[in-house]
Amino acid sequence: MKKTGFMYDQGLLLHDTGSDHPESPERLLAVYSGIRSANFFRLLIPVDAQRIDFKWLETVHNPDYIYYFEEICLSGRTYLDSQDNRMCPDTFDATLLASGGVVNACRMVMEGLIDNAFCAVRPPGHHAGQNFAMGFCFFNHVAIAARYLQKAWGIERVGIVDFDVHHGNGTQRIFEEDPTVFYYSIHQHPTFSFPGTGREFEKGTGAGLGFTLNSPVLPGQSDQAYRRHFEKDLCPAFDSFKPQVILVSCGFDAHEDDDMSDMKVTTDGFSWMIRRICELAQRHGSGRLISVLEGGYCIRRLPELARNHVEILIGC
Amino acid sequence: MFVSRSMIKEVVTISRKTSVLDAQKIMKANRVRHLPVVEEDGRLVGIVTDRDLRSVYPSITLPPEEQQKEMQRLHEYTIEDIMTREVVSIAPTSTIQDALLLIEKTRVGAFPVVDERGVLIGIISVRDLLGAFIKVMGVHEPGTLLGIVVEEKVGELKKIVDVISEEKISLGSILVARYWDQNKRAVFPYLLALNVSRVKKRLQAMGYELIDPLQWHLGQGENGT
Ligand SMILES: [Zn+2]
Repeated sequence: MKKTGFMYDQGLLLHDTGSDHPESPERLLAVYSGIRSANFFRLLIPVDAQRIDFKWLETVHNPDYIYYFEEICLSGRTYLDSQDNRMCPDTFDATLLASGGVVNACRMVMEGLIDNAFCAVRPPGHHAGQNFAMGFCFFNHVAIAARYLQKAWGIERVGIVDFDVHHGNGTQRIFEEDPTVFYYSIHQHPTFSFPGTGREFEKGTGAGLGFTLNSPVLPGQSDQAYRRHFEKDLCPAFDSFKPQVILVSCGFDAHEDDDMSDMKVTTDGFSWMIRRICELAQRHGSGRLISVLEGGYCIRRLPELARNHVEILIGC
Repeated sequence: MFVSRSMIKEVVTISRKTSVLDAQKIMKANRVRHLPVVEEDGRLVGIVTDRDLRSVYPSITLPPEEQQKEMQRLHEYTIEDIMTREVVSIAPTSTIQDALLLIEKTRVGAFPVVDERGVLIGIISVRDLLGAFIKVMGVHEPGTLLGIVVEEKVGELKKIVDVISEEKISLGSILVARYWDQNKRAVFPYLLALNVSRVKKRLQAMGYELIDPLQWHLGQGENGT
């Protein structure tokens, strides 16, 4: 049994996207309630959310962009650049809290206080780039975590697995020239899904060539396709890269009941994926794994998805 | 949408008196496959491609002494001897669509762009056209493609575009295609947004059928389009 950390904070509910936006506080409440009501809840080790130290934030995001986001947010505007990125005056603080919580989880893993962790955060992060917000995302928590692990703890090889149904274009762009961070993403084929990137031939650039790997999946596919890609693409890649820590961009929006996608992954399919990722973490990184919530919009299914996810983290 | 906006303006050219060997060096050094041949006043008189230049070389199936002889003669060849004189050129005011159709018709890989006096002012290749088309389709911009089936009648497109703009979503491009049902059209708006659920719901409420991406994929295969 593992010592599993769990990061959640009510402050993240203050990020108000207005009515009719799928990235709602109810999502996080659904995730939380699924975990809170589980028998294993008492076994979880709490990880505090806290405002991120700008020293870490700036390893990924441009100071000008950070300042711009803060200014627009405080001005009372309801969105940043696009209606996708809705916000309220509390959004900037909530995002800092989310990023800080993820960094905190990484610190606790590295200090040996916990083996792995699940961070129930919002807003999500994987579409956010160095200097832009996109697709409901403002700061790229997973990218910041990767840089933190490298700079604060000297980790040489970080592996990122992104199974959110959308391609994490922000994360890919941040690390595409970097051979020390391997970015793997499995997602709905870009012709049929936002943001339209993540094709098979996107494999990184320059020194980073070969350290980005994308598995686009055609609409309507389910667990078998995901399994096939994990075995054929992800596993061999990570077995040769040997990540010392694995970060998971954990989006549940490929679920069959999630109307943000046309994928048909079942609840069991998600359990299989995280189990397989845990095995990779065990084999190459002494089990060190930090999973961070990205998308997932089916309020009815989120409790069970989150509960299973964390249960597997504890049990692996 | 005009050729002049997508063409390459700094064109590497040669004259009709350039030797074949020099032309080959110029092509290699500039990493191009087409060399327009121009007069001193800039008028276009011909074009040579990498294939034209290669075909001048003696066949390796010839006996060695014959090959030698041919190689000697190569020094005497000038572009004039091998260039294509009937050049398929295009005007700067032609559109990208013109150029695409012309490629399909002529199977030529690049068109010199000439003005009304016949002076070369640019060149546009299949690659440049692809780039222009990618831009027009918005393929590089982050967005979501919808597929909607509409009846073939006036005003349908407007209703769809109205919903999109009422939801304050930027429209990257919109493509209208023949649908496998004769009296219908398939409309593919490319929305520059992730959150398109409201647009989808409103369109469905208005009675439009959204194309199941899976069907759309298979259907296209079956039709062989
Ligand atoms: Zn997503």
